[in-house]
Amino acid sequence: MSSKTKAVEAAAPGKKTPLAAKIFLGIVGLYLLVPFLTTLVYSLFVEWTDVLPSGFTLRNYAELFTNSTFWLSIGRTLILCLVSVAITIVLLLLAMYVVVAVNRKLGRFMQFVCMIPYALQGVILSIGIISLYTGTGTILSNRMFMLFGAYTILVLPYIYQGIRNALNAIDANMLIQAAEMLGCGRFRAYVQVVLPNIVSGILVSSLLAESIVFGDFVLANNIAGTNYQNIQVFLQANMARSSGLSSAIVVVIFLVVAAVTAIVLKLQRSSQNR
Amino acid sequence: MAEISQTAAAPAAGEPATAQARSAKSRRWVGYVAFLPFLLVIVGYELLPLAQLVLDSLIGKESGTLGIENFVKVFTTPLYQQSIINSVWISLVSAVVGIVVSFLAARFAYESSERVRSAFTMVLNMMSNFSGVPLAFAFMILMGNSGVLTILGQQWNIPFLADFDLYTGEGLLVLYIYFQIPLATLLLLPAFSGIKKSWREAAIILRATPLDYWFKIVIPNLMPSILGTLSVLFSNALAAYATAFAVVMNNYALLPLQITSKFKGDVQIDAATGGALAVVLIILMVVCTLINNYFTKRASKGREII
Repeated sequence: MSSKTKAVEAAAPGKKTPLAAKIFLGIVGLYLLVPFLTTLVYSLFVEWTDVLPSGFTLRNYAELFTNSTFWLSIGRTLILCLVSVAITIVLLLLAMYVVVAVNRKLGRFMQFVCMIPYALQGVILSIGIISLYTGTGTILSNRMFMLFGAYTILVLPYIYQGIRNALNAIDANMLIQAAEMLGCGRFRAYVQVVLPNIVSGILVSSLLAESIVFGDFVLANNIAGTNYQNIQVFLQANMARSSGLSSAIVVVIFLVVAAVTAIVLKLQRSSQNR
Repeated sequence: MAEISQTAAAPAAGEPATAQARSAKSRRWVGYVAFLPFLLVIVGYELLPLAQLVLDSLIGKESGTLGIENFVKVFTTPLYQQSIINSVWISLVSAVVGIVVSFLAARFAYESSERVRSAFTMVLNMMSNFSGVPLAFAFMILMGNSGVLTILGQQWNIPFLADFDLYTGEGLLVLYIYFQIPLATLLLLPAFSGIKKSWREAAIILRATPLDYWFKIVIPNLMPSILGTLSVLFSNALAAYATAFAVVMNNYALLPLQITSKFKGDVQIDAATGGALAVVLIILMVVCTLINNYFTKRASKGREII
């Protein structure tokens, strides 16, 4: 491990940053930051019709945080995030038990179906579900059922990767065999020995999945629309009405996702160091 | 293990052996039960919806019979032709511009000190989340009809900024390029760690110019990663919906917008045409994924020396 990191260090040409690199990275970094920073400044001032904005205010945020529709949409978004990611984790952990302890051949099939949503993404997924279930008159045509189903599929690739990597890292199959030799049942071994060992691996990928559901507009808008407004649909609905309020929503969304991303990066780094 | 004991026990007619075999068999059967919930959801919300779209596309809108009528219509109607062309065009241009910028960015980040590199990577990670509706809104504030840069352009007489129209294909292109850059750089950065310092020294000793070094050594070596990333960017732009919808609503000929409007139409649902358009998009995406898989395999093969 240490020789590997040394090799990487040796391969990296400079300890000092060349001027050209500083300038280029500075420009790209600035370019990436400007849209958000503009929105942030915009949300904090009364008007921006000249070169510089004028009239510092927190009015937009006060208005947003006293808006009950905003809190409702935040609540819905959180429910969507937590419930659909939880469903996906349970489904995958159960299915992965079969792959690890019963029949390894299913692993191929699982990898294939779990990667399909990654290739197809939101538009195809949402309209496929709408086309299949709308107007069938069953409980499946309920918008909420469709929405949770769609999110469960959307986050599948990310959580699957996380669980699979974690299982590979601890060599789950060997652990189960060892537990079995000691007289423990396979399923019990999976639950009591394997699962506690992969929690941290699942945590990172679940957080990533949460931020994906939080940032989703396509599924929410296509399947539920105004019937079950999540935060992104709420933003879209407000964009034409009030740009001050919308800029505050954008800042809030960005800060939430940035916080989750920061936690993910931190967890990843600490697991790498270990 | 269980398989062997089971087959070995089966021929022996002894009572305890059969009982054991039966319990092993039932345990195996019970084991598969855990797979059922996953299978049910996959079939219900992934495979059947896809099959439904294919079915929609194959049942003719007018004739109601199985056939390629809808595809003929899609490829002969100007609006849909234009949607396909626009989608492929925007995706291709944004992917190519994105890859050029991010190649340089990754190269410079790689040559930088640890501190600069990690700060830059942090910005990339944070801003790669800035997409969809929030991104569209930010660009409206920046470059919309009364955007900050538009006003600056008018006051300082910069026609490019003053006359820039965000609500067109070019406007969308600027947005798409924006969200391609962080993603592309994050994907390309790891590839640079495969470039050894000794190669540069060897090249200099052999009297290669810096241009030779870059175009004959580094870029060919990184080609699998570059092409793989390019296909990811292409499909990323192809499927992007939120950004475009937030800017132009349904008033632009773009595949994802046209597909969605057929199923969520304010007028009438047209699953036949929508299905055919969706299948066109699916085929484009699948081709991208296959290309990416091919290059990812090649890229990892090349690096297995270590």
